[in-house]
Amino acid sequence: MKSRILSVLKKRPHGPVMTVSKLLLATYILLAVAAPMIAPQNPYDPLQIYGWEASSPPGTSGSGGHLYLLGTDGLGRDIASTILYGLRISLVVSIISSAAAALIGLTAGVSAAWFGKWVDVAIMRLVDLQLSLPTILIALIAIVTLGPGVDRIILALIIAQWATYARIARSVALSEANKPYMDAARLMRLPTSRIIFRHLLPNSIAPAVTLIPIEVGHAVALEATLSFLGLGVPIDKPSLGSAVANGFQYLLTGQYWISLFPGLALFGLIASINFVGEDVRRSLDPRSKSL
Amino acid sequence: MGMISVATGRSLQAFLLLIAMSLIGFIGIHSVGNPVFNIVNIETATPEDIRRATVALGLDQPIWRQYLVFLDNVVSGNFGTSYIYHLPAFELVIAKLPATLELASVAMLIAAPLGTGLGLLAGRRRGTLLDRTILRASVSALSIPSFWLAMMLILVGAILTGWFPSGGRGSTASFLGQDWSFLTANGLWHLVLPAAALAIPNIALIARLSRSGTIEVENLDHTRFCRAKGLSPRRILLRHTLPNISVPIVTIIGLQFGGMLAFAVVVESIFSWPGVGKLLIDSIQLLDRPVVMATLTLIAVAFVALNALVDLFHAVLDPRVRLSSQR
Repeated sequence: MKSRILSVLKKRPHGPVMTVSKLLLATYILLAVAAPMIAPQNPYDPLQIYGWEASSPPGTSGSGGHLYLLGTDGLGRDIASTILYGLRISLVVSIISSAAAALIGLTAGVSAAWFGKWVDVAIMRLVDLQLSLPTILIALIAIVTLGPGVDRIILALIIAQWATYARIARSVALSEANKPYMDAARLMRLPTSRIIFRHLLPNSIAPAVTLIPIEVGHAVALEATLSFLGLGVPIDKPSLGSAVANGFQYLLTGQYWISLFPGLALFGLIASINFVGEDVRRSLDPRSKSL
Repeated sequence: MGMISVATGRSLQAFLLLIAMSLIGFIGIHSVGNPVFNIVNIETATPEDIRRATVALGLDQPIWRQYLVFLDNVVSGNFGTSYIYHLPAFELVIAKLPATLELASVAMLIAAPLGTGLGLLAGRRRGTLLDRTILRASVSALSIPSFWLAMMLILVGAILTGWFPSGGRGSTASFLGQDWSFLTANGLWHLVLPAAALAIPNIALIARLSRSGTIEVENLDHTRFCRAKGLSPRRILLRHTLPNISVPIVTIIGLQFGGMLAFAVVVESIFSWPGVGKLLIDSIQLLDRPVVMATLTLIAVAFVALNALVDLFHAVLDPRVRLSSQR
């Protein structure tokens, strides 16, 4: 599976938009990994922040000896550094939550297909219920119930996203469960957990995995929206979404850079994930090629 | 006969969905913590105080009876009294509803024709520069975070150019006992930016859908027949292709209208539009739990009802749906 994804990424002919998106996404990941080394300032360290330089426009040189390339926010934090650190939080939160949602959704979907009867009914009714409401509403309800915090927001994103995977995994597992190798596994009297986790799950995994990149994009947008509304990550450790939110009150007085640049970074991140994700899905799933 | 059975079946389904939702909501509220400690002070309360508060709140009752009481309250619109405004929570939410409905309707009135038109155009000229541009633009538009889009609209439309107001509802005129912005010029002016913020992602979504529908229908036999008959391309597009792609478009319009009610949370709080969404965020921040519950319930119920309506409309538009339900 992994090598297939890699070969697809390498070989597939594509236009300039695809190349740009892939380069952009790679740059984002590199920047996020290298953030503490390349950021001019650590925006979480109050000792490195000079309050009197708050709301400096882009290009101002700061007392710390470095240039505020994109200006500073209302608390004097360097916008460029805030973006780099915020990128880490946005990416970590959405990748962890998408991976966990995929794992939970897959297990639930495969279990529904394997056990059938009331397990199937219970799981799939819950899935239908969730998928019939907008994701943002589910995430809102979850975060209101759970309260604020980074761990809570990951949990809320998992709750909002697992159902999509469960539905796909179930339909694949249903068709896999009737194949001869499953009969063989059953005849060998393997333990149920072994059949599910070692045989059924690995063989039902592919269509759901192709969803992950797109869902990571959704998760980034969802996390940003929740953080923007003040329901996400705490304000002293901003993600890209809360960095944009911090700038909102200054926007009205014309200090556009505080929200413009983090927002641009966020838009580029979501767009590149969406373009690459669509491409991965399209090349791995022949049915959607016509789209 | 077919219509009635579809209608009953769908309403029953929607009803069951609401019951399930209320159950999950009830369990959710109960798992959060013992509400007794919202009333009594944990440090100074004696066991006797706690017992009395428990009885007063009805928490000594068996769990199924508590659920029935909860259900009864929800059905009669009794979500308790707002901690902040000291008014019944449900009435507060209902009072804010017209503003949200107005915003969402205007946004949809912009998005539906524009999105369908762009999609038809792109699908008709598949593979051309125009098609690729529309497709790329729609993926990009769907990637823009809604809150940032709203803020940039304010930056460009209000702060840099000064063309539009940056927030609020403007002056309103009374109609059917409610205040509406779209009846006054000033109010309409205030509607432009928030409606655009809600409409843009939906234009992109509808355009993509109608594009793929157009491509599919253009390859069918009846379109080829129309072409052979010598009908003009415009007539084929408007009289034959459009009706055939209308079912998925109507479906997505209905679903997105419900989605707009949820997304209005973001747009309303940015444009200080005094609707349900702004009320929800304000109430969450003020820990005004009854209002939060009432708002979330109302949005969820509205969404389920819209879904059911869309399915019914689907049956009206598409005879195949009616026929399949009779079997």
